[in-house]
Amino acid sequence: MSAPERTVEHVTCLGCGCACDDIAVVVTHGQITEARSACGLGREWFGDGSVPGETRVLARVARLDQALAAATQILTGAARPLVYLAADVSCETQRETVAIADRLHAALDGLGAAAAAGVLAAQRRGRASATLGELRQRADLVVFWAVDPGERYPRYTTRYALEPQGLATPEGRASRRVIAVDVGTSHGLPAADARVSIASGDEVDALGVMRATVGGRTGADDARFQPAVDLARRMMQARYVALVADGEPGPAGAAPPDPDRAEALVALAQALNGPTRCALSTLRGGGNRAGAEAVLTWQTGFPMSTDFARGHPEYRPHASAAALLADGAIDAALVVGAPASLPEAVARGLAPIPTVVLGPRASRATFQPAVAIDTGIAGIHEGGTAFRMDDVPLPLRPALEGPRGAATTARLLRERLAS
Amino acid sequence: MTTATQLRIAGGAVYDPAHGVDGVVRDVCIEGDKVVASLPPGAPRLDARGLVVMPGGVDMHAHIAGGSVNHARRLLPEEHAVDPAPAPQLAAGPRGRSGTGGTLPSSFVTGYRYAGLGYTTAMEAAVAPLTARHAHAELDDTPILDAGCFVLLGNDDFLLRQLAAGETGRARDYAAWLLGATHGYAIKIVNPGGVARWKAGGSDRNVTGLDDPVGSSTVTPRAILETLAGAANALGLPHPVHIHCNNLGQPGNAATTLESMRALGGQRAHFTHLQFHSYGGASGGAWRSAARDVIEYVNAHPEVSVDVGQVMFGAATTVTADGPVEYLLHRSTGRKWVNVDIELETGCGIVPYRYRERAAVAALQWAVGLELFLLARDPWRVALSTDHPNGGSFRSYPELIRLLMDRAYRAEQLKRVNHKLLGGSALLDGLAREYSLSEIAIITRAGPARLLGLSGKGHLGPGADADVTIYTPDADRATMFATPRYVIKAGTVVVEEGQLRHAPDGRRLTVRPEYDSALTPHLRRFFAEYATVAFENYPVAPLP
Repeated sequence: MSAPERTVEHVTCLGCGCACDDIAVVVTHGQITEARSACGLGREWFGDGSVPGETRVLARVARLDQALAAATQILTGAARPLVYLAADVSCETQRETVAIADRLHAALDGLGAAAAAGVLAAQRRGRASATLGELRQRADLVVFWAVDPGERYPRYTTRYALEPQGLATPEGRASRRVIAVDVGTSHGLPAADARVSIASGDEVDALGVMRATVGGRTGADDARFQPAVDLARRMMQARYVALVADGEPGPAGAAPPDPDRAEALVALAQALNGPTRCALSTLRGGGNRAGAEAVLTWQTGFPMSTDFARGHPEYRPHASAAALLADGAIDAALVVGAPASLPEAVARGLAPIPTVVLGPRASRATFQPAVAIDTGIAGIHEGGTAFRMDDVPLPLRPALEGPRGAATTARLLRERLAS
Repeated sequence: MTTATQLRIAGGAVYDPAHGVDGVVRDVCIEGDKVVASLPPGAPRLDARGLVVMPGGVDMHAHIAGGSVNHARRLLPEEHAVDPAPAPQLAAGPRGRSGTGGTLPSSFVTGYRYAGLGYTTAMEAAVAPLTARHAHAELDDTPILDAGCFVLLGNDDFLLRQLAAGETGRARDYAAWLLGATHGYAIKIVNPGGVARWKAGGSDRNVTGLDDPVGSSTVTPRAILETLAGAANALGLPHPVHIHCNNLGQPGNAATTLESMRALGGQRAHFTHLQFHSYGGASGGAWRSAARDVIEYVNAHPEVSVDVGQVMFGAATTVTADGPVEYLLHRSTGRKWVNVDIELETGCGIVPYRYRERAAVAALQWAVGLELFLLARDPWRVALSTDHPNGGSFRSYPELIRLLMDRAYRAEQLKRVNHKLLGGSALLDGLAREYSLSEIAIITRAGPARLLGLSGKGHLGPGADADVTIYTPDADRATMFATPRYVIKAGTVVVEEGQLRHAPDGRRLTVRPEYDSALTPHLRRFFAEYATVAFENYPVAPLP
């Protein structure tokens, strides 16, 4: 019998890509009653820990073996199956899922595709980056480029970039200068020491002018870029610059960023490593999406949008799951992870085709899955490994016993598909 | 209860240099996953008549799994796109896993391709402790190979603080704790102090010699080397400290390399990818070979071992914790570049590269590597490596073996390369040496296994791991070593008639040295003050 109240320490939160691992989860009578140290986003992510534990085939309650048999039939009978990695599963589950896609000769995609611009920029140019803790130790100038982490990454500033003391930043916030860059209506951190404003149409050009300045070339004499030139000069004078930008797409309805923006940010960060040191910190969402990219990369060589149709992985960065579904190319799908995390276009595309959903709250998908297998949530009910937004791997410490494990269930499905 | 599988590898020419067996025709008997002295006459036989039998290959220095390797994979979709690897059809069970190749193959393909060359053990040579969990997850997805991780130390802030405080004992305890926490196998030092300077920002972007101060006047590359070499030896680790010296790739760096060796005089130490550290000439000036100077020191000092880090012409990817070196390479080549500073520990830099025969520096590097091999007097202390994928892919090992075994072929290749910087290279003097099969068996398995302290590897005596590679002799040694006829891993025939047939999981090679628990409160305080990962979440598995 468990005690009426217990606390699990050092729990990793997957509410956003910060993956704070200092959460103390208090469990009272089998429910989470407190997530100490968590931010609002984190508290929402933990909730009370209750999840459904259903198994359904065509909306009817079924046994697991029936569901797995139905899933196998649907997936092996498909001419063009899609496998999709959604949020809130561990790397262990993701590894099983990529194996399933390989076995099925399926198209494989995941949440990473929504952040494709940054991934592709990093593939063209590379990256000048650092793990979050290194920004904490070193950065004496932090530039928030059109992002206020307070909204989607609430503890980024208190745990990593801004407040805490570090080796070369012994006074914490007082050891750092903070500049917010506002691009159009996308504002940088409100509590900055200085602000620079750039018209949204000028963003990529401004980054180019800054890079030219860093490279010792005279900037454009256009007066509207003078603030960018001045900013570049200030960055060059710092000892270690953290350039912080959002890698995730903006909220629905926001104007999509210039496709060249991500590359211009990388190029500027790289160039700054001539006169000084600079790391670009690209903010990424939660649910272990960084883990999905890592697993996809090590198992296939590609971080997203990979197609096994020809019996080996092929990179299709411009044919994401949303695009394939919209084209009507896909005739069955497997979603592993929380269907609530699916981009709207993907959820919409899945609705008309037979879909197997294996993951947290599968039975509560907004569309009607042909097979729904509820599992626990990685990090709440299930252990394993997850990656922080900077690719630092962390252990997951489940506070609750939940419905069946996603990793085990995905393995059962893989074994069935293999037989 | 099932009886262990038995197999008599019958009538092959056995090369088992650890036991002084040099091409003698005899049987090798396997029971379960071990080599045994004998088997009953009726035991299953594998007819090896006319074939060459060696222990499974042991790669003691390669970059095959973990954070920086995966950053490099992610950087190179164009390489993966042109080297698809369909899933192998295995003898039993489902197909294996598909993937992609290039200089950094996907994890399953890495295991398959190593096994396809007759290698059954490989060491991942640079794991940032913070990301050890990742390296182990990848190795779990790298079949067949038994693998261990070299853990990066020597630029980490906790260690440098202990040095600054003169706490050598605590530094040793820390190294021991870290090896246990990361499930590591050996201590790896990369550019001691240099990466710390690179990360600190400011005008000193690297160290230039052994006595440059790193933050504190008592913390120098020399002090780091001495402390960690001493720690590895005091802890009785199976492999001594594994050193990537300062000034990698710089003209004139042989002086630093020799000074590093002298600094540890009398202590066991392994100097890795020596080729990249054996250049003469002046810093910032012209290059020339200093291979002879360096290898003569190695020849005369039995406590020193090396692997060569041969450069092979063709595609490579430079992947290293040596961040400042990669920055310079990026600037000089204009190629794309990854840098990731890793908190409190180390760095990571990546630049894709191509070694061209007609490029003067690449030709020099190629020549320097061959000189080191050919002038080495004790093959037991000179292991074959390309520092995969830095000097070239592990897939180029057969070609490298041919260069070592076939003097005429080597002379022919030498004619094709740029000679501009080869003045003074012993290679131009016509080094006549040809490696024998026994010597190849030493530098590719018996030697590295011994240097790693892997008592079950690299030999075929009773009790050895049943890792065996069987080759069809061929005058073209590249062909011979590229396509083993059979490869046996832990008693399972994984390659049969050149085809991958089984892909069992590999085993992990780890050490867990003792340490004084008085260390723990110091570590806890350091974590509380600076780390972004909880002390409790840092070890790969909970520590007892």
